[in-house]
Amino acid sequence: MKKNSRILLILLAAIITLNACRPDKFEDTGAVRNVKTSFGGTWKLSKVTQKDEDAAQKGFPYSTLDLTTLFPYTDYSITLNVTNSGQTTTFTTTPGNSPAVIAVANGDWSAGPTQYPTYLAFKQGSATDTLTLGSYPAGGRNVLQLKKERRDASTGKLLVSYTYEFTKQ
Amino acid sequence: MNKIIILLAFGCLTIGALHAQNPTFSPSTFTAEDQVTLTVDVTGTPMAGEAEAYIWIFSNTSIDRSNAALSAQYPAADGSTNTNWTNSPPEAKMTAAGTNKWSFTFIGTQIFGQSPAQLKDFGFLLKTKTGTKQTSDYKPNFFDPLVFTATMLRVFPAKVSTSDIVTINFDRSLGGTVNEQRMTPVSATVTAYDETNAQIGTPVTLQVRVFATNTWAATFIPTRHFTPAAGHQLTKFRYKFNGTVLDVSGNTVNVSSAEQEVTFTRMN
Repeated sequence: MKKNSRILLILLAAIITLNACRPDKFEDTGAVRNVKTSFGGTWKLSKVTQKDEDAAQKGFPYSTLDLTTLFPYTDYSITLNVTNSGQTTTFTTTPGNSPAVIAVANGDWSAGPTQYPTYLAFKQGSATDTLTLGSYPAGGRNVLQLKKERRDASTGKLLVSYTYEFTKQ
Repeated sequence: MNKIIILLAFGCLTIGALHAQNPTFSPSTFTAEDQVTLTVDVTGTPMAGEAEAYIWIFSNTSIDRSNAALSAQYPAADGSTNTNWTNSPPEAKMTAAGTNKWSFTFIGTQIFGQSPAQLKDFGFLLKTKTGTKQTSDYKPNFFDPLVFTATMLRVFPAKVSTSDIVTINFDRSLGGTVNEQRMTPVSATVTAYDETNAQIGTPVTLQVRVFATNTWAATFIPTRHFTPAAGHQLTKFRYKFNGTVLDVSGNTVNVSSAEQEVTFTRMN
């Protein structure tokens, strides 16, 4: 009887162990998230960093400078309007006394490429200003990071960049 | 209507021509180890209409030769093509690049026989083979540094356009004169110039801040302070730091640093 119980225990352990080897069923993750909806809202400029890209590339010291407190950059805010379905529509800026951040004051904005945007384009009439996107302001992260690149007009070489960090209001 | 369009187009072309940089360089930025082609338009100079042009080239034209330390760091040198003013060699002959336009290709370290660390800038002029005619000097034309060289005056970023945030820095520990080594800066003076070398407006005085030990800085946006006259453009600026030292009697004396010139880079 004692021997039978031992065999039963071994069998039970074997069944549990083998069951544990079965792959889990993954739940359906649902529709692909439209990241453009996360750009919607009013964003206030909270940090500005200037980078000497050529100096950084050469490994020189003094390659970045925090400009946030040198000019009233934190006056600047931008409102990006987006529909519930994730269609980008209009934008408005409130510059206050801040130096220029986006070259156009208001108009239409877009994000591209469509599914996984890497840039935001701001258009007012025939003028367009395009800034590169940092990480998406998704999940608990309420920070939108945009980068403005300045290139040599004749060679296209990247010389200077400005990174603007916005916090959602 | 057509006449108006033609007149407008002509006006735009004229303004564009006035704004053209002379000389031009390809690539526009280059180190002393890079091959660069300079092209210069000699229209309006004694060399206009000449069938041949020869280059006379020399290094480190922007160095204050009364400053012994800087002179030692950046010795002046003639190009290897500067063999004889009255009989320039074939190696100095320039290539025709259009009416009254001449170009010349060289590598800084090779033509001057100096190391990258010894080369800050160069100047040149165009001449006839026998030297009977010549242009004025085209200088200074700066090399991009290959190694970081700490200097008393420094601009951040190293290349700036007229609409960039520009920070000028003064490092007292690298001062070349006693006053520069002892002064406590309280302000910086910035003077801007257009493409004709005419001063734009009045010099601007900026408040300085402590950047690091022995280093002070001031930050400005050129287009906010300087507006060139119609038809002209903001081309370069000069800056210096102003401060005080105590003389032998303990009296406060106002002094200024040496001045540095910065040419704006066109950026998109």
